[in-house]
Amino acid sequence: MSTKYKIGVFDEEKTLVASIKSLQERNLAIFDVFTPYPIHEVLHLLKRKSKLPTAGLIYGITGALSVLAFLYYTSVLDWPIDYGGKPFNSFPSFIVITIVLTILIVTITSLFTFSVRARLFPGQEAVIFDDRATDDKFIIVIDAELLGGDAANEAGRIMSESGAVEILEKDLAEKK
Amino acid sequence: MYNRSIRGPLVEGNKTYGQISSDIMAPIDARPGMWWYLTMAIASVAALFGFYAIYMTVAKGIGTWGLNNSVGWGWEIINFVWWIGIGHAGTAFSIFLLILRQRWRTSINRAAEAMTVVAVGCAALFPALHMGRVWLAFFIFPYPNTRGPLWVNFNSPLFWDFIAISAYLLISFSFWYMGMLPDFATIRDKTTSKIKKAVYGFFSMGWTGGSHQWIRFESLSFILGGIAAVLVVSVHSIVSTDFAVGVIPGWHTTLFPPYFVVGAIFSGFAMVMTMMVVVRKVYKLNDYITDNHMDAIARILTFISLIMGTAYATEVFMAWYSGNEYEMFTFFRNRVTGEYSVQFWGMVICNAIIPQLFWFKKIRKSTWGLLLISLAINLGMWFERFNIVVTSLANDFLPSNWVSYSPTIIEIGIYVGTIGLFVVGVLLFFRYIPMIAISEVKGVLNIGSKIDD
Repeated sequence: MSTKYKIGVFDEEKTLVASIKSLQERNLAIFDVFTPYPIHEVLHLLKRKSKLPTAGLIYGITGALSVLAFLYYTSVLDWPIDYGGKPFNSFPSFIVITIVLTILIVTITSLFTFSVRARLFPGQEAVIFDDRATDDKFIIVIDAELLGGDAANEAGRIMSESGAVEILEKDLAEKK
Repeated sequence: MYNRSIRGPLVEGNKTYGQISSDIMAPIDARPGMWWYLTMAIASVAALFGFYAIYMTVAKGIGTWGLNNSVGWGWEIINFVWWIGIGHAGTAFSIFLLILRQRWRTSINRAAEAMTVVAVGCAALFPALHMGRVWLAFFIFPYPNTRGPLWVNFNSPLFWDFIAISAYLLISFSFWYMGMLPDFATIRDKTTSKIKKAVYGFFSMGWTGGSHQWIRFESLSFILGGIAAVLVVSVHSIVSTDFAVGVIPGWHTTLFPPYFVVGAIFSGFAMVMTMMVVVRKVYKLNDYITDNHMDAIARILTFISLIMGTAYATEVFMAWYSGNEYEMFTFFRNRVTGEYSVQFWGMVICNAIIPQLFWFKKIRKSTWGLLLISLAINLGMWFERFNIVVTSLANDFLPSNWVSYSPTIIEIGIYVGTIGLFVVGVLLFFRYIPMIAISEVKGVLNIGSKIDD
């Protein structure tokens, strides 16, 4: 079996970005880029998008309405209690609980969504292409099988021309 | 924007990315020094004293405390409010400064969040114990029950408080933990110890640093930061309404929510400063927690101190201006002069006057200056809560009800115990968790430098 992944290792943010740009100019598909910290330019170039904010908004609206509904149900329908003649549906004083619980609901549901979408679970095995990617190296991974041998070799050449300090070939099939 | 030519680099010493990882990981890999064990031992003894006091409270009841019919809230509520105030450091640092795009927060936010989680945990102990029968504390959860179902009073600030503090604890913990995922992965990939690799590998939940993870990580911190910013304001506002809805003179005022919130951020920042002054010395992290960081905190404290001074003056002024004789009595005969004047003036001096020394650059640069002033603020904030809780209750409308209050050894024990627990928690944090957010510091390494332009 041929080598599955071609990996370019970079020392700097600048060379990494330049390399991504030239790979994209030649229409060579990038499998993924691994960096020790978030680089917005890279995320932008790879056209990574997250729908998490939209999900958060939906959770928030649903959460706020459910909390208000719950307060209305308990205080007006299920067991109304007269506190010195105040109205059962004392909306202004429900706002405090609604705000705080909405924040809690959004936090917890967004975390779960994040966990599912970013595939992060307790005990999840990390697929590590190069263990320096969380330390001081920036890594571009090219799926060599998908691209075919010639294109992958060209990608390797472009990466080393644009400043990669190392080009590695790895087969992670057995690890997955 | 951060102007490097004016404010200096965020990270000093021309670090490389690799050096950042190893410098911050060093305390986790190295054996802790003698001071660590010694502090741990003292803190553990204090915590054990606390456990004894809690045991006595639970076994014998609240009668072991010095409370009486007039002073129904004593040290427990003072310390509860004090700890919650300190617990505002995390939200203030991580979230407030995050949404204000203050990049200098990066090397301090992790420790501030850790402090928040521990401090809020300590705070939560007090209301739980104050319920008297702790084993029935679950009654406060609004769940369908066999007692009616009788629901809790959703209009009561005391219930709001319960909701606010539980939510605050959960949210700060989530935010803190999520931020640590990339750093746990760094330790997993860099460590040579097999045990550490397995443990931190488990806690890193499979983090790789791929672009599909970073984009969601960034989105999530944006969402959590955005919505949790409300908590900076809401948690202590709710605590203040515990007082402000009472008709007791000195409590019944609309000033309370902003006054409490600002006070909470004040004590939170002061505690962060106390901790950071010590930590950067013992762990030699001066390159990351630079003099400029301390300077920035000191400037914020100076500003907040002015707000506190204004709030104190406003309270006293309103007592006179309102023409209410009970307010007049509470403030002028009971606080400014009289039995509790020591606490009142202690509060004014520690919170409003001493921090003004930060106007001098020499004091902002001096380790002792920073440490002593931040400790003075912590003390002053304790006086403030004493002043609010006890002075109003001890001498209220009816002179026949007037009593004095002093804490029993059990009450002191619980307080000392929480301080012990706090120190134990913070020490464990420094030992096992990267105390500075590694990935965030790497991100700001070149901020405003030539490489960035």
